[in-house]
Amino acid sequence: MQSLFIEGSSLMHRLSARAKLLILAALGVLLFVTTNIAVLATAVLLTAAVYFTLGLPFKAAFARLKPILLTIVVVALFSLAFNPWHQAVVALLRLTALMLFAAGVTATTTITAFIDEVTALARPLERTGLVRADDIGLAVGLVVRFVPEILSRYQAIREAHAARGLKVRPTTILVPLLILTLRDADNIAAAIDARGIRRHVI
Amino acid sequence: MSTRDLVLCALFAAIIVALGILPPITLGFIPVPITAQSLGVMMAGVVLGARRGTVAVLIVLVLVAIGLPVLSGGRGGLAAFAAPTSGFLMGWVLAAFTTGYLSERLVNADQNATMQAIGFFLAAMIGGIVVLYACGISYLALVGGLGFSKAFFGSMAFIPGDVIKAFVAALVGRAVMAGYPLLPARR
Repeated sequence: MQSLFIEGSSLMHRLSARAKLLILAALGVLLFVTTNIAVLATAVLLTAAVYFTLGLPFKAAFARLKPILLTIVVVALFSLAFNPWHQAVVALLRLTALMLFAAGVTATTTITAFIDEVTALARPLERTGLVRADDIGLAVGLVVRFVPEILSRYQAIREAHAARGLKVRPTTILVPLLILTLRDADNIAAAIDARGIRRHVI
Repeated sequence: MSTRDLVLCALFAAIIVALGILPPITLGFIPVPITAQSLGVMMAGVVLGARRGTVAVLIVLVLVAIGLPVLSGGRGGLAAFAAPTSGFLMGWVLAAFTTGYLSERLVNADQNATMQAIGFFLAAMIGGIVVLYACGISYLALVGGLGFSKAFFGSMAFIPGDVIKAFVAALVGRAVMAGYPLLPARR
């Protein structure tokens, strides 16, 4: 799986992951307390300037945001049809600015840096016994490792259907896919424990 | 959480991700393709139960947040949480929990196949539709600046597809329960 990180040396790249996430959180709060269109429009211009100067070609940078931008525009148009126009414009600008900065953080932060932040965030939760911070990195690694496995398994089940002249239906394909995948859990768990990766589990 | 449970959650998270990449599967009787990952969320609750199902969905959200394009259409990254429809994404957690909780209560191995399927269907409907839409619509109404009634009516268009997904999730849940039961036994 290809991450959304982009190599570069912009200011955003040099900021620490934690600083960027804190700015994003603050921006989220600030954008939602104001309804002043001039302020929000300035925020959109600033965040757009940040996002489009990260070193990604404009076309690729825009393509990434298209699906989200589309939902924002659809909802704003829907709002415009029934509500005063001011409200629709505010929502449109607010979400666009937030989306641009969030996409900027994503494009300039490596997966490793993110996992470190998530782990640090989960440390205090360890005391409640709900989560082991180190397990998060392990789980992420497992998912990334297994997605291609599941896709090839799906292909194999499809071919088995075709070979028997069966139609591909959700229930006939999802059940073997789930069972075949989840049946691996015991072997993987045994392998993880044998290597002592989760030391705290005896 | 035992290592096996953690691995089960991660594998299910991988299945939810894969559901966003797979080419759509069409149902025989209705021309609606089943691609959406919300089917995966319902299945997580139905197959794994409340606790593990919730963790599986949380893992997917962590993957989104750290910038992997794991949502359908290659979406991902923090920007995915800044759309007016992000309430539906965040609502996955509660949806998986509710579906799993109800599945654990409503379904047990002693029932006949029809009763199990009905129990799973109810769990998936309440968790994957009622709870999920409550989260999604509230967020859309507040953040999208739409107001509740408009957000509600705007979302109704997606209900028929989700009812079909709940139905598929129920059949899948039933079949997995018969073939490879994982749901925690009722206490």
